[in-house]
Amino acid sequence: MIEAKNVIKKYGQVTALDDFTVNIPKGKIGILGPNGAGKSTFVKIALGLIESTSGEVTVLGEKLDKNSIAIRRKIGYMPEHDCIPNKMTGVEFLIEMGQVSGLDYQTATQRTHEILGHLRMGEEKYRLIEEYSGGMRQKIKLAQGLVHGPELMFLDEPTSGLDPKARLEMLDTINGLAEISNTNVLLSTHILQDVETVCDYVIIINNGKLQIKENVKELVKRQTDTIQIRVGENSDDFISILKQNDNKRNIEITERWIRIPYENDESFKEIISAAASAKCQLYEMERIAVTMDNIYLEVVN
Amino acid sequence: MKSDAKIAEKFKDFTPTLDSRANIVLGMGLRGFEKLLSLKNKGTLFLIGIIYLWTFAFYLLMGEDSYPCTEVSEEITTCTHLNFYGDLQYGGTRIFLVMLAAIASSGLIANDLNDKSIHLYLSRPISRIDYLIARIIPIFLLMITVTVLPNLAIFISQFSKSGLDLNFLSDNKWTLSNLILQAIFYSISYSIIGITFSAAINRESLAAVAFFGTVYGISLIVEIFYEMMNGMDIEQADYILLLSIIHFLDIISYNIFNVDYFVTIFGSPVIIEYSFALIVGLYALLFFSFITLVNYIISQMEVTK
Repeated sequence: MIEAKNVIKKYGQVTALDDFTVNIPKGKIGILGPNGAGKSTFVKIALGLIESTSGEVTVLGEKLDKNSIAIRRKIGYMPEHDCIPNKMTGVEFLIEMGQVSGLDYQTATQRTHEILGHLRMGEEKYRLIEEYSGGMRQKIKLAQGLVHGPELMFLDEPTSGLDPKARLEMLDTINGLAEISNTNVLLSTHILQDVETVCDYVIIINNGKLQIKENVKELVKRQTDTIQIRVGENSDDFISILKQNDNKRNIEITERWIRIPYENDESFKEIISAAASAKCQLYEMERIAVTMDNIYLEVVN
Repeated sequence: MKSDAKIAEKFKDFTPTLDSRANIVLGMGLRGFEKLLSLKNKGTLFLIGIIYLWTFAFYLLMGEDSYPCTEVSEEITTCTHLNFYGDLQYGGTRIFLVMLAAIASSGLIANDLNDKSIHLYLSRPISRIDYLIARIIPIFLLMITVTVLPNLAIFISQFSKSGLDLNFLSDNKWTLSNLILQAIFYSISYSIIGITFSAAINRESLAAVAFFGTVYGISLIVEIFYEMMNGMDIEQADYILLLSIIHFLDIISYNIFNVDYFVTIFGSPVIIEYSFALIVGLYALLFFSFITLVNYIISQMEVTK
């Protein structure tokens, strides 16, 4: 879907993207990274809004340096910041955006009402945008990007500034609209849960470099919650007793550590009891939860 | 909620036929023009009315004998239509023309910059220059409406008074083309100045005040300095008039009609002579700088957000 080769983007002395190379497949892709990682810069380069200092970018099979305007016919963009005019109604604004994308008035009007219907906007769509809540403004921002039926939709921090309820609603809307309109999604965010909820693939960027590109399901599988133990003698007996209690239990044994899946606080009592039975000395016992956040932080740091 | 979504097949299989880039730009421009003429813009409509009224009233006052050209003094010849714009003493529409350009153009880019919707426009299949053209079109068409149309109306009226004599048309064919050219020249110039102020001062009302104040304020200051320099017998005094946008545009406008350029300083007409290459070169440089500045301001917006 998007291929970037050795892309460098510099703003004066600051390097926003540093020899960035990535091949982004079709589907719903998340770009994760802390603030200032280079996510928005990459999105803007892929949109053709800004030029890279060097490197090559291909979007939907077309080279960006030659066809940036033609490519924009196939893509939609929802910026991070508030950028919708207050003095227009939701309907007027979407029709205008449809027409600026190249739709005729009739199609733009029809499409506007269809999208706003999917976004569950009723009579409020005829109100001035300045009267809208934060969630409604985000919906309008999303709708304007989808009005011309793009193949690919860039979403830059779509849940930014939303309360938890509005955030979940927005993610659900993105999921729903992307699925029913067969639109590929590139979601740029620093919120891990947004990627988990929406995306198939995740790309993590930090300091302008690609850190990781992985299937979200695979990444989720890497989430573990274990109790890490260091024991003295008779460790074999200790492990046997633990396995007797639950033979399906996945016990990881390394030279230094034994890791037992954490189920609940009873797991600690069970470990102490097994150690006592095996006359095995417990030196250390600690719960180690490897969450998506940990994986992300590990990659970013 | 996702499962609740009703999937309309039409929505799912939407394969749009998108217009060409040129049509998108033209469409944006025409919609902008339509907005300028909407009833919400009472100030704009009022000024348009005033310009038409003033033009026709002035035409009636001038009388048909002075048309198309007359002698102001032994050495100066001017034409009626030029007076509409060339000299406030005779014309008077120019102040309204500048006022209209200032008010109507002030929001064109300023509003997009202010609410940041410019990012959404520029993410569409148009370039930055396309966007600028689309924003110039509304004010350009508006200026054409108040320059070309009234002048044409007067020309047709003259033709009618000549008893529809075809010789009138052949005798004045250059006047007709020059009238149109002059109006286009003023329209495009004030349109570019307008969007420059609109982009540079991204507040609608401030941009309008700055446009009008700069154009008329500098003109007044320049005239005072011109008088002072003349009083001191400084030979190069004429060149100071080039600093005034109003005088500068008038100089080129007079050149279009191949008429001697004169300014009226405190009621006295004075002939000014410049080389054609100088004024055309300066005009090109000035307006290229304006467009470059607007382009730069917009490009900076793209980078910062």
